[in-house]
Amino acid sequence: MKKLLLALLIVATVATMGFAQVKRIGVSMPSATHGWMGNANWWATRAKTDWEARDKNVKIELKFSGTVNQQVSDIEDLLVKKVDAIVVFPHDTSVTSVVEKAYEQGVYVVVLDRGVSKEGIYDVYITNDDEAYTRKGMEWLAKQMGFKGNLLLITGIPSPIDTIRTDTIKEVCKKYPNIKILDVQPGDWNKQKSTTVMENYLQKYKQIDAVYTADDDMMLGAMQAYKESGRKDIKFFLGGGCLKSVIKEIMDDSNPLVKADVTYSPSVIATSISYGVIGAKGDKLNPYVYQVRALPRRVILPSELVTKANAKDFYVPEAPF
Amino acid sequence: MGDVILRAERINKDFGGVPVLKDVDLEVRRGEILGIIGENGAGKSTLMKILSGIYQPSSGRVLVNGEPARIGSPIEARRLGLSLVPQEFNLIRDLPVYDNVFLGAELLTRAGLLDKEAMKARTRELLAQLSVTIDPEARIEAMSAAEKQMVEICKALAFSARVLIMDEPTTMLTKVEIEVLFGLVRKLRAEGMTVIYISHKLKEVKALCDRVVVLRDGEIVHDGPAEGLSVLEMAQRMVGRELGSIFPPKSEPGAEIVFEARGVTVPGSFEDVSFELRKGEILGFAGLVGAGRTEVAEAVLGLRKRTAGEFYKDGKLLRIEEPADAVAAGISYLSEDRQGSGIVTGFSVAQNVTLVSLGDYCRSALRLIDRKRERERVQGYVDSFRIKTESLSKRLENLSGGNQQKVSLAKSIDTEPEVLIVDEPTRGVDVSAKHEIYVFIGELARKGISCVFISSELEEIIGMCNRVVVMRDGKVAGVLEGDGIDEERIMFYATGAHEEVAS
Amino acid sequence: MSLSPSLKKLDLEKYGSLLALGVLFVLASIVGRPYFLRPENLINVMRQASYTGIIALSMTFVIISGGIDLSVGSLAAFVASCGVLFMNLLVKATGGNETLAIAGGVAVMMGLGLCCGALNGLLITLGKIVPFIVTLGTMSIFRYLSLQMANAGEFASHSQRFGEFGMAKLFAFKAGESSISLPVPVAVLLALAFILSFVLTRTRYGRYLCAVGSNARVAQYSAVRVGRVRFWAYAINGLVIGISAALLAARFNTVSTPNFGLSFEMDAIAAVIIGGTAMAGGRGSVWGTVIGVFMLQIIQNMLNMAGLSPYLQGVVKGVVIIGSVYIQRQKQ
Repeated sequence: MKKLLLALLIVATVATMGFAQVKRIGVSMPSATHGWMGNANWWATRAKTDWEARDKNVKIELKFSGTVNQQVSDIEDLLVKKVDAIVVFPHDTSVTSVVEKAYEQGVYVVVLDRGVSKEGIYDVYITNDDEAYTRKGMEWLAKQMGFKGNLLLITGIPSPIDTIRTDTIKEVCKKYPNIKILDVQPGDWNKQKSTTVMENYLQKYKQIDAVYTADDDMMLGAMQAYKESGRKDIKFFLGGGCLKSVIKEIMDDSNPLVKADVTYSPSVIATSISYGVIGAKGDKLNPYVYQVRALPRRVILPSELVTKANAKDFYVPEAPF
Repeated sequence: MGDVILRAERINKDFGGVPVLKDVDLEVRRGEILGIIGENGAGKSTLMKILSGIYQPSSGRVLVNGEPARIGSPIEARRLGLSLVPQEFNLIRDLPVYDNVFLGAELLTRAGLLDKEAMKARTRELLAQLSVTIDPEARIEAMSAAEKQMVEICKALAFSARVLIMDEPTTMLTKVEIEVLFGLVRKLRAEGMTVIYISHKLKEVKALCDRVVVLRDGEIVHDGPAEGLSVLEMAQRMVGRELGSIFPPKSEPGAEIVFEARGVTVPGSFEDVSFELRKGEILGFAGLVGAGRTEVAEAVLGLRKRTAGEFYKDGKLLRIEEPADAVAAGISYLSEDRQGSGIVTGFSVAQNVTLVSLGDYCRSALRLIDRKRERERVQGYVDSFRIKTESLSKRLENLSGGNQQKVSLAKSIDTEPEVLIVDEPTRGVDVSAKHEIYVFIGELARKGISCVFISSELEEIIGMCNRVVVMRDGKVAGVLEGDGIDEERIMFYATGAHEEVAS
Repeated sequence: MSLSPSLKKLDLEKYGSLLALGVLFVLASIVGRPYFLRPENLINVMRQASYTGIIALSMTFVIISGGIDLSVGSLAAFVASCGVLFMNLLVKATGGNETLAIAGGVAVMMGLGLCCGALNGLLITLGKIVPFIVTLGTMSIFRYLSLQMANAGEFASHSQRFGEFGMAKLFAFKAGESSISLPVPVAVLLALAFILSFVLTRTRYGRYLCAVGSNARVAQYSAVRVGRVRFWAYAINGLVIGISAALLAARFNTVSTPNFGLSFEMDAIAAVIIGGTAMAGGRGSVWGTVIGVFMLQIIQNMLNMAGLSPYLQGVVKGVVIIGSVYIQRQKQ
């Protein structure tokens, strides 16, 4: 044990031996508890590899945390290490005060998503477009259904994000009175749970036309249950988040039940890290920006509909999920 | 006499530098019953644990059938034909008899599954060999101590034991059951089995054994035939000095009634029990195991819910719902089950003594434990009871049974009770500690404390008590007084003979 | 004189775990160089440790009594949610008297904590259901009650000062480049450790607690009110959780119902066990728990500073928990 730690110590000392102009970027994000976050972790690691290969003076430290408490500790530890920039993908808004502390200390702060409950305590705020995520998906699905039929929803873990998405779906459906939402149950962003929910749906409802799940993982679970039931009534499954295998199916047109997906890109973390690096270095994003302050303060990444036509643009064969 | 089956040569054993066995040489012959006696701490149990593979000797060797043997574990011991029937039975309550008998050496079918039928059949054979009627499929939890013991012996036979080591086998048995056991041991001897019999009960050793070995302070001080060795001589060799009468002279109780029970019933345990206790009196409770004596004591303490009857103290009705009420009324109880409900083995001597009376040590404004007073009081008990301990903070698990019992007694009287109920106060305690405990109880009575004395040893009931309540099947069968207290009369009531006479 | 060997022995036991902490500290200052020894970092470590640490103190009582409390994290989330809601109401009702609102909110958290702990205690003693089952049940109940109340969202406090209170320091001064301070939660941790340790070793209740945990039957026969003693262990635990919940809610100035206090039970139990308290009950030390709390946090911090992956950190934590119990077993 001691030997291992000593070895680690040597590695650590070598790794942290400073060059004068080295910019150090700390990243704190949730650890991989489901497929999407696993992809996000992979993207973070990829951004680290890319940047460190590209620029010897960039060091990126990744911290994956299981709980928000751990995340706050991680951020504090990064601050003790005097990082130049910090990129935070928050568990929830409990990180607000420590993010504020970082900002006050003059660290370049990039915050993802709706993680802080206070304005003006960050340099860049990046988010995926949650509303468009389900709006685009639901509009597509409604059209495919011919604006009529029975729809079932499987949602994620009850949370503010999940509420926005579900509400958007319901709002879109209001426009089409012939589409009937039979039921809404949480699948907790968990394939197994979603399978169980779908099994119950299949027992309960005799005629189902489409199933809309909050992400691709849960869609695969629900589809599994449907296949096992041997029923033939469902025409469409729609998930979201662009799981590699799902994009492949759309690209190859190999699954008649799955024809589309909506991006909610886990690569958002990689983009954020890039913003952090550029911000810490004081560079401009591109030469066309004329403002003194180089980076935008708020960035909303689009959610896009993926069909056979554009699927190959979204296929990342080396991503884990 | 048969040939030597087991020989121990110059066995030494020490624990952390403290010698427990010193150069012990012992020969055990085929087909004999060898009694091993000695005070607690004399090294009997350690010697037996070495022979049964639980401990390893510090030096010396053991020969089985003349061959040097390494007994590394109880399993190796069994393989060599040495089986221990422990004092605390090693049986699994939830399993049936046959599973217990074959535990660790299950018979398997060719498919590798448990061969229940074969195990049942073999168990039935073994039980028949012992001439006992126990169902091989009965569960252990429903069994009496005697039945459990038979299962333990059966277990030993299943491993074709040639030497059976029995550690205090009669502690939990009634007189009748003891007779059955003795018959069985003699039968086994006739079949060529060797039995090593460890006991405190010298009379039993005298009655059963062919040869007696006396251990004192880790050394063998006597080895000779049982014939011609009187019980008194055995006791003297154990203690190493002359013994006077073991019981103190009885004192005369006062006339006033301190405590009274009227028509008390606890369903399933006993019914309509009444008795009165005078000041400074020692009132014995005799009866067979299961007659309901301990249950009466527990009802007085509020540990058992009664459906009828009242308790009176100094003529006033008592409200006793839980032990704290009894303590407040000046009643104290020394439990028969020392380890199970008497002492906290993980607590120090001091912490144990003051456990019941702790409130008396918390009189300061902040209600903190007055540790100085605690220390002084407990030191007083250690001195007067001659409790052998290095310090007051020594954990009780490190003390011998006799010393644990003295601590338990100190705990019961530290509340300064007026009524003291002692339940089997000398169980598992050696002769000299027994004597000391008798003297303390005698002194307490002389000081005016009234004492209920529950015991299965008739000798001490007869030697200690002013009056005796004999219970049978949950009822008071009779009360004996003064010269009327003798073994015959007690057994007359305890066994139910009086009912036959009456009808 | 007769008790002095016991004092020596006690010191030795304490000394043993202190020694382990010392060794770990030295190791951490090497592995976590150059950051670990910075005063800011050491203060961070203590503060990070204090929230679960406070809960671990009273968890020590529960475990000594022979029980377990799995509901601590959920209970913290529940009382914090209710407390922040009440505080926000008070801010409104008093027209912005934040001091009063904070006092009210904290009082609600402590009071409700006591009640919820008492509920656990009642179910265990009167209901005669084993602690594991009762608290497994209430763990779920308290968490989902909070989720229901917030619709799985958050309760943000409407008091700026509550957040300031969360970051407050008892004293702070500059020493050269670094600032040295004593954050409030650390002070609370130490004060509570002092009080609870005193209760455990010097009062009747503490003695009874050990007796009940060591052998409940002996305690019952010794006129100890076993049920009451057990009950209070859970009630005290609830009260202390209320204190910790207030500090944590103040630090975040918000209560996120799905995440607040998540897996606190595991961290608290781990600290208690590393601190030398017997899982089976009967024996334990509050200061040992404090040492356990700091040891866990130092391990995490030093590995974090060395840049070890968080997943491997979890592995090291597990090894330390099992290893420390193994070493304690060997000592006996």
